[in-house]
Amino acid sequence: MQAPDFPARHQSPMLKNIRRLTQAIFLLLFLWLFLSTESRGANELGYPVKIFLDADPLLTLTTILSTRRLDNPFLLALFVLIATVVLGRVFCGWICPLGTLHNMVSSLKRRNVTGKPRNLYLWKYLLLIFLLVSSAFSLQLAGIADPLSLLIRSLTLAVYPLIQYATVSVFDTVYAWNFPVVTDISEFIYDLLKKTFLSFHQPHFQQSVLVGLLFFGILALNLAEKRFWCKYLCPLGALLGLCSRYALLNRSVSESCNGCGSCSEVCPGGALPDSRKNWRKPECLVCMNCDDLCPRNAVRFGFSRKPSGAALDLGKRRVIGSIVAGLVAVPLFKVSPLKKAGAAEPRLIRPPGSLEETEFLKRCIKCGQCIKVCITGGLQPTLLEAGLDGIWSPVLVPRIGYCEYRCTLCGQVCPTGAIRELALEEKAAVRIGTAMIDKGRCLPFAHATPCIVCQEVCPTPQKAIWLEAVRVKNRTGRTMTLRQPHVDLELCVGCGICEAKCPVLGQPAIRATSIGESRSQDNQLLLP
Amino acid sequence: MNRRDFLKSALITGAALGLPAGMDPLLTVLKAAERPDLAVVRGTPPAAITRAAIDSLGGMKRFVSRGDVVVVKPNIGWDRTPEYAANTNPEVVGAVVRLCFEAGAKQVKVFDRPVNDPRRTYRQSGIAAAASALGASVLFTDSRKFKDMRINGSSLKSWPLYTEVFEADKVINIPIAKTHGTSKLTLGMKNWMGVMGGWRGRIHQRIDESLVDLATFIKPTLTILDAVRILTDNGPQGGNLADVRRLNMVIAGTDAVAVDAFGATLFGMKPAELGFVRIGHQRRLGSMDLAGMNIRRITL
Repeated sequence: MQAPDFPARHQSPMLKNIRRLTQAIFLLLFLWLFLSTESRGANELGYPVKIFLDADPLLTLTTILSTRRLDNPFLLALFVLIATVVLGRVFCGWICPLGTLHNMVSSLKRRNVTGKPRNLYLWKYLLLIFLLVSSAFSLQLAGIADPLSLLIRSLTLAVYPLIQYATVSVFDTVYAWNFPVVTDISEFIYDLLKKTFLSFHQPHFQQSVLVGLLFFGILALNLAEKRFWCKYLCPLGALLGLCSRYALLNRSVSESCNGCGSCSEVCPGGALPDSRKNWRKPECLVCMNCDDLCPRNAVRFGFSRKPSGAALDLGKRRVIGSIVAGLVAVPLFKVSPLKKAGAAEPRLIRPPGSLEETEFLKRCIKCGQCIKVCITGGLQPTLLEAGLDGIWSPVLVPRIGYCEYRCTLCGQVCPTGAIRELALEEKAAVRIGTAMIDKGRCLPFAHATPCIVCQEVCPTPQKAIWLEAVRVKNRTGRTMTLRQPHVDLELCVGCGICEAKCPVLGQPAIRATSIGESRSQDNQLLLP
Repeated sequence: MNRRDFLKSALITGAALGLPAGMDPLLTVLKAAERPDLAVVRGTPPAAITRAAIDSLGGMKRFVSRGDVVVVKPNIGWDRTPEYAANTNPEVVGAVVRLCFEAGAKQVKVFDRPVNDPRRTYRQSGIAAAASALGASVLFTDSRKFKDMRINGSSLKSWPLYTEVFEADKVINIPIAKTHGTSKLTLGMKNWMGVMGGWRGRIHQRIDESLVDLATFIKPTLTILDAVRILTDNGPQGGNLADVRRLNMVIAGTDAVAVDAFGATLFGMKPAELGFVRIGHQRRLGSMDLAGMNIRRITL
């Protein structure tokens, strides 16, 4: 019999369509929840916006390891793990929104690389070991590489602001043209978009470019090799791969297989499906492409207890290497002077309800949910202000946006409890820092000019900024009565609205720093 | 009824009795003369006293014509619920919206440029719900619609202001009475800060002159001061219920200075103690001479 030259899709790819539909549904659900992570005016969002992160076994496991507590919801993540133990990496193949995006981008690439099999797939397991070991010793870095955390962060900081900017620019241009019918139509569409898709304000983030380049780079890897990230880098994929080793859902190949290699070309996991002996079960994404496309219908997925495929051999040296790296990383990150009392970065104002800094960093997975939901846009990702291990964790930059006094959204969306969910009464008592006046720049102090903006906007029931009426002389010798502002250190909560609204632009005449923050024992000014 | 009112109504009655039927227009003029400069109504509920105040000024039909686009400008500046008296009472706003539609308005627009986040202030103030339930277009301000305007005042030469205010047929100002750090009180004239774009905080450097400049440039058809609850300390934002006093009162008038002058008295102040009222009076934008005014006081 001649080697068959079948067209690749000779039978109806029903499974593929079902899978694509499932992927689309989960991706849309994910994006809808992302868009819903925004205030509509009430203090509750009304949607379970952190459900994907809750279902992430890697984030859940590393948080449990780093905090040694079980106080976050873990049932969903456990469910995903159990599903993986039974069915294999269905999460990767059917659910993961980043995986779906990779699928979409990789469709731009004609054919899969079918060069000789590389050992690169081991990287992700070594990365996983590194993350698990370091988190077991209190260094939580998993969120940096976790696919869901990475996706939310990238959408928040780069993709969504970019789309918003582009969209608004287009509609603004048409608006400025002011053509009779055209502008009316475009304004109608713009209104519709504002109600549904666009965010209320244009988001501005300090690290859009860096995070955006990383994200687009990761997507672009699909052009080198389809689902490069999933095959070689994803630590969540590695964790699920380990769990799928003994999955009950198994792939069997009948005797009619003639080794034509069609399946190998369509395998997104690089699981070597054409090799009966060396099939890498942990790499299988259960996409069932091989079943769909086998010209001889030789592939079948079914339940059996019989383990199949090759054992995962990471290599003893490699495993020891990543364990050591995970161990060494812990003290290496912790010797930063930022961890020394009194040397903390003064501008590192954490969101209200944040745990004490050490505990905070054990939990924060840098997913960017708090940054996304922050109603004033004041929460920004750090670069090095919180140390390298704190990269992309939230910091309030009052000049960009203050902390709204009666808003508690950031604590509501935090998936790991790094920011506690506060009741409104509790929020009113939580201090995130203290504002202080720069007399050299303040108009009534330095320039004999009236101004009370900081006092006007101060939100505490009894204002933390009080005014002292003083008589001063201006240059011409005219005496005038001015009201000079003072901060009441007992009352100031550090929300930073005074800094945000101070008319002395550039370097405001009143600035908030983290001193006095409730969460810290050391970063205090007043005698208790 | 004081002596002045009595004489006036006696005159009108007398005239009406003595005049032949063809002299009706004269009667109308005289009736207009009888209209008070200010209406001050006390009682509950807020919607009823608002209606009574406008009725005693001659009814909303006097101010709003059929087919008008009306801008109603409450204070929606702060993320506070109504009981804190930081924003205009939603029932007062609702009543005004209803009266505008009853008078035949085609569209009623309600907006403010708040200090706190607009989504929260519109909602927490209760104003968005109250006004849109009655058919008003409750809109967030659109940054593209602030245009530089030649104000040519003594303090403000030009400033970006919200164009919809100037495109409307009629403009109704509904401030709330509160204390404030530089202007001492924030009443009607200061409420126009809510249509300023840009870094409006700078206005406090010459607050009184600037407020009069603004109020001269934006002449509302009607000013309705909400004193259902007033904020007596820690204004303009408040947050402490102990600072709130319940007066159950609404003051309405066409003279913005007179309304603010009366507002001063609610806080035990003389009108002239407020710089912007004094300057408004001097510049003849309006009058702060409450004693010389016809003030109709009604208690429901």
